[in-house]
Amino acid sequence: MDPWLLITIIVGFGMAWAIGANDAANSMSTAVGAKAITPKQAVLIAGVLEFTGAYFFGKSVTETIRKGILYPDRITDPTVLIYGSVAALLAATIWLVIATKFGLPVSTTHSIIGGIVGYGIVYAGFSIVNWGKMTQVVLSWILSPIIGAIMAFLVFKALTKSIFERKDPVRSSKIWSPFWIGLAFVVIGTMFYIKVLHGKSLKTGVLFYGIPAGLVVFLILFLTLRVKFPSSDPFIGVESIFRRVQVITSGYVALAHGANDVANAIGPVAAVYAVATMGMAGMKVPVPRWILAMGGLGIAIGVATYGYRVMETVGKKITELTNTRGFTIDFSAATVVLVASWLGLPISTTHVVVGAVIGVGLARGVKAINKDIVRDIIISWFVTVPVAALISAFLFKILMIVG
Amino acid sequence: MQVWTKLFAKSPFKPLIKHAEVALQTVETLEKALQAWREGNYEEMKKLALEVDRLEDVADRIKEEIRDSLSSKLMMAVAREDVLIYLHMQDKVADAAEDTAKWLLVKEPGNIPEEIKEVILQMGTESIKAAKLVYEAIVQMDRVIESGFAEKEIEREYEIIHEIEGVESKIDGLDTELMRLVFQNAGRMDWSEGFYILNIARTLSNISDKAKDAAERIRLMMNK
Repeated sequence: MDPWLLITIIVGFGMAWAIGANDAANSMSTAVGAKAITPKQAVLIAGVLEFTGAYFFGKSVTETIRKGILYPDRITDPTVLIYGSVAALLAATIWLVIATKFGLPVSTTHSIIGGIVGYGIVYAGFSIVNWGKMTQVVLSWILSPIIGAIMAFLVFKALTKSIFERKDPVRSSKIWSPFWIGLAFVVIGTMFYIKVLHGKSLKTGVLFYGIPAGLVVFLILFLTLRVKFPSSDPFIGVESIFRRVQVITSGYVALAHGANDVANAIGPVAAVYAVATMGMAGMKVPVPRWILAMGGLGIAIGVATYGYRVMETVGKKITELTNTRGFTIDFSAATVVLVASWLGLPISTTHVVVGAVIGVGLARGVKAINKDIVRDIIISWFVTVPVAALISAFLFKILMIVG
Repeated sequence: MQVWTKLFAKSPFKPLIKHAEVALQTVETLEKALQAWREGNYEEMKKLALEVDRLEDVADRIKEEIRDSLSSKLMMAVAREDVLIYLHMQDKVADAAEDTAKWLLVKEPGNIPEEIKEVILQMGTESIKAAKLVYEAIVQMDRVIESGFAEKEIEREYEIIHEIEGVESKIDGLDTELMRLVFQNAGRMDWSEGFYILNIARTLSNISDKAKDAAERIRLMMNK
């Protein structure tokens, strides 16, 4: 095997590990925080589903340069693509590890974009960067959390208005809980088609996946709750309904995350693989299954080794996140990501989720949020691309001199 | 992701409920002490009065912990100032109970007329009601937040606040009644006994006064 391919695979594996450590734990956090599942269960579910998502549903064709952030026709030298990919992966991994160390949820996509921009600029100057795309990325830093917050605020208000503010909360929750959960499954079903199966048409997704899934879930819940409501107290009853649902929504998030974000780790690996096996640098290349497996395994190990610790602390420390609030955050984030990908807006799930947490807080839902941490998180979002770019530029320069 | 542990700060509501629980225990123990006092069982009364003192210390410690954790860096569902002032008032409920216990300890009552003892005991019983209602009010406040400030839950909270106000005015009445009785029986009592009784009455009515102040703060919490 080409030594550079081997190196890239190792670095790509490291990136997958970092994605698992920083990102994948997020998918289960609300469920763990709301005590729907234990940290141990979360690690197991997330590990298996992330791997499943990555291996079975990861894209079999990937762009060598993520999101077309550089003009690919400007990189004709295969060596540059190899060194650049290694530098970008390593830079993104380093940044993710640093961010994870400080407990900051940064976007893995933005990290790898930063890495790519870094080596691109060192190689061919600022004109190689597709600044239009870059502007979209920057916009997503600002838009994602704001839209996430607004969405979660509205969902939480609507949820409480339709259930807790009624004269007979038990009766209204028998109707409205299935409705909200059904609606969430319309989104999840559609997302499954688009994000996991990589379908293109939103209409197909909504009609053949979303609406059937939503209807089935609505009917099952509606009928079950007519026969048996979990408690005479509407608060406890509603919470226990949403607790079970949260396990499924979190599981879905893990699956979709694996299917999509594995590309952040294997995209650059695939680029080097294409050069090593076919001797050419293209924009889109097929990805062999074993590379996907490696990415999935890396993410799963990341969840197990680092995510475990994180989720355990979450389970023990977050006491104020109830199941309805956790559901609100998951549902809002999923909806925003779906609508954004339909409109073609670049949006970061991580950013939307943090925004949603704040939105629920502003709706006077979450009892206390730490403002200082919110500030730190926002700062970390703004520095992700520049920092990853700088590290990558530095590494690329060294590789060009040494290599 | 560690951020979740940091992003969600510890909310003050569960500790506030804990504090209210201890304040209620303090008042309940005080009432038992008053009963022992009335029966002339001074040994038992002393034991219970000292227990009141201990419970008040526990309440103080919880109060300090809540204060330390409520930094201005938090974004909360209710205003921080309201929570802090509420806590102060709730703590004063326990303080007032301790003040009464102190008066019980400093002097063995001589020949205090039965009817006066009767009113004192009634005041004690009503104080428990006030403390219990404060506990209910803060538990209900937790529910108000839980429901995302649902009208129905807010209404229930207002009901509890009204009840506290009702108890407070009832104790006020008893207080006046007691003052009247003390002067009526002035001939039969020593000045020091009158002084003693009036101070017990004052500290007892303080319990419900502070309970009412606490209720006022809860009202403010709901309209941030």
